Amino acid sequence: MSGIGPPEPGEGTHARDGGRPRDPRPPGRARAALTAWYARRRRIAIALAIAAVALAGGGYLYATRPHRPPPREDRTPTQLPYPAQVVDMTYLDGQATPAGAPPRSFSFAVLLSVASGPPVTVTRVTQPYAGLSLDTEPSAPFRTKSGSARKITITMHVTECEKAPKNAGLPFLDVTLRNTRAIQVQSFILGPRYAQELSRALQVACSNKVG
Amino acid sequence: MRQRSLIAITAALAAGALTLTACGSRDSGDKGSDSDNGGGTVVIGVDAPLTGDLSAMGLGIKNSADLAVRNANKQKLVKGVTFKIESLDDQAQPSAGQQNASKFVSEQDVLGVVGPLNSSVAESMQKVFDDAKLVQVSPANTGPALTQGPDWQNKKVRPYKAYFRTATTDAIQGPFAAQYVFNTAKKKKVFVIDDKKTYGSGLAATFTSEFKKLGGKVVGTEHINPDAKDFSAVATKVKNSGAEVVYYGGEYPQAGPLSKQIKAAGAKIPLVGGDGIKDDTFMKLAGSEATGDLATSVGAPVEDLPSAKQFVADYKAAGYKEEYSAYGGYAYDSAWAIIEAVKKVVDANGGKLPSDARAKVTEAMQGVAFDGVTGKVSFDEYGDATNKQLTVYAVKNGAWVPVKSGTYTG
Repeated sequence: MSGIGPPEPGEGTHARDGGRPRDPRPPGRARAALTAWYARRRRIAIALAIAAVALAGGGYLYATRPHRPPPREDRTPTQLPYPAQVVDMTYLDGQATPAGAPPRSFSFAVLLSVASGPPVTVTRVTQPYAGLSLDTEPSAPFRTKSGSARKITITMHVTECEKAPKNAGLPFLDVTLRNTRAIQVQSFILGPRYAQELSRALQVACSNKVG
Repeated sequence: MRQRSLIAITAALAAGALTLTACGSRDSGDKGSDSDNGGGTVVIGVDAPLTGDLSAMGLGIKNSADLAVRNANKQKLVKGVTFKIESLDDQAQPSAGQQNASKFVSEQDVLGVVGPLNSSVAESMQKVFDDAKLVQVSPANTGPALTQGPDWQNKKVRPYKAYFRTATTDAIQGPFAAQYVFNTAKKKKVFVIDDKKTYGSGLAATFTSEFKKLGGKVVGTEHINPDAKDFSAVATKVKNSGAEVVYYGGEYPQAGPLSKQIKAAGAKIPLVGGDGIKDDTFMKLAGSEATGDLATSVGAPVEDLPSAKQFVADYKAAGYKEEYSAYGGYAYDSAWAIIEAVKKVVDANGGKLPSDARAKVTEAMQGVAFDGVTGKVSFDEYGDATNKQLTVYAVKNGAWVPVKSGTYTG
């Protein structure tokens, strides 16, 4: 004997025929009353068991629910992008020098755009070469919102021709950028067209006789 | 009646709860499953120096490409395709690189290759890959001629359609270093040394050209043997030249001892190099007097890039023994670019790889664009990265610290 055989069904454990809930032959009265009593009790027991499962399932789901990150506006500043990573600056073209600019001045335009994140404020624009200084229009500081671009006119003044870079291969502008994450100085290397036009403008400016 | 309603509502609630619980279980049970794509295998080759002096960078490239493949498989990014990595060691030698290229070409499952580290190795591989129309994406080559032809300074001509890179070139890196040394560090007299290799001599040339244009003076030049470790003769020449700064075109295994020996000779001046010296091994070799030495490197510091956070976390979680080093982010993006190109080809071919998959993947690479670890990844008409960021690092307290960042927007 293995000791394992088909278990005898206990009281109240008879499976109902799925498609035939009622026996066609009516049972005896005593048996009917007992069955009805058991059925009533069983319903309560089943209802309680199902309720317990529902509560346990709900509790499990609540405890293991996915934790979503807080909405973007609630994020701490450390989760925002650095300003230099969202700002682009490109060279546009030469511009007319504003009236009243000092001698040996020339102007050009650049386009500053902010791709994403909070607004970015340009607090300073400089260039690294001795013998040159610059002004911007609009004057710093100025603010640019995400998804927008701003044209900036830069007017350079040659203060010492001997020190000006007449033939720089990759000249750049240093732009101080600020957003709610950080303040950064980023060098924007504006490419060969800017390099050529800067060299040409410097040669012209320094070949002029100034009274 | 009320009792029946209670039973019905309770049963419905329970069924709903069980269904949702089952969904939750299935979701967590899928974690880590990266097979069962029911389709073909695409192999991405990796060629880098996995042994020898430059293995710190090479192993970072290999691990990062592996991470990209793992993530793509986990996400089932290309339906029906499972990606695999096959890595080969080029030992930083052009001849080994060429042999590896031939091996990758001979294996039909290989649809793209990440690497190599060295521009000189790339030169030996380019034609092999191009003839087989097998796309190659380097995370680290900075020699301008690889994409723009030998006469790149006068006329840019792309020599190979199958070659791409995610790193910025020395045409920008060298001049950016010159501008920093001349304008910011205010050093006007430089001694230029290189290792005679494609990368080192090319970088030294672009630095020298811009430094002179700015008005700086080159007070001496020397070439060293990359196999040497004793640079005392060169160090003495540097000391006697009156140089205010040394520019070295080469890599950290030589740059470290060179810096140390120059200082030991009595010239307490900074050594400046390119991305090839920007590895923590440099400090170990150069010693404490390396403070103030400078390196430019392609790309922005990883910690400044929101896009790199996930990569850094994933790399750590994956448990690789080696650091991702200077080119990890670029290697991840190189591998991901190949995966994106494969996806384009598969999607355009009704969900299957076409018979001429290699040629199609190479063609698709030109139009690949995605937000990668290092920012937006795409390629210009020469196969160069459109994202051109550079950073100047200085040695402070035994670590590379970023001191200036630039973006090329030309």
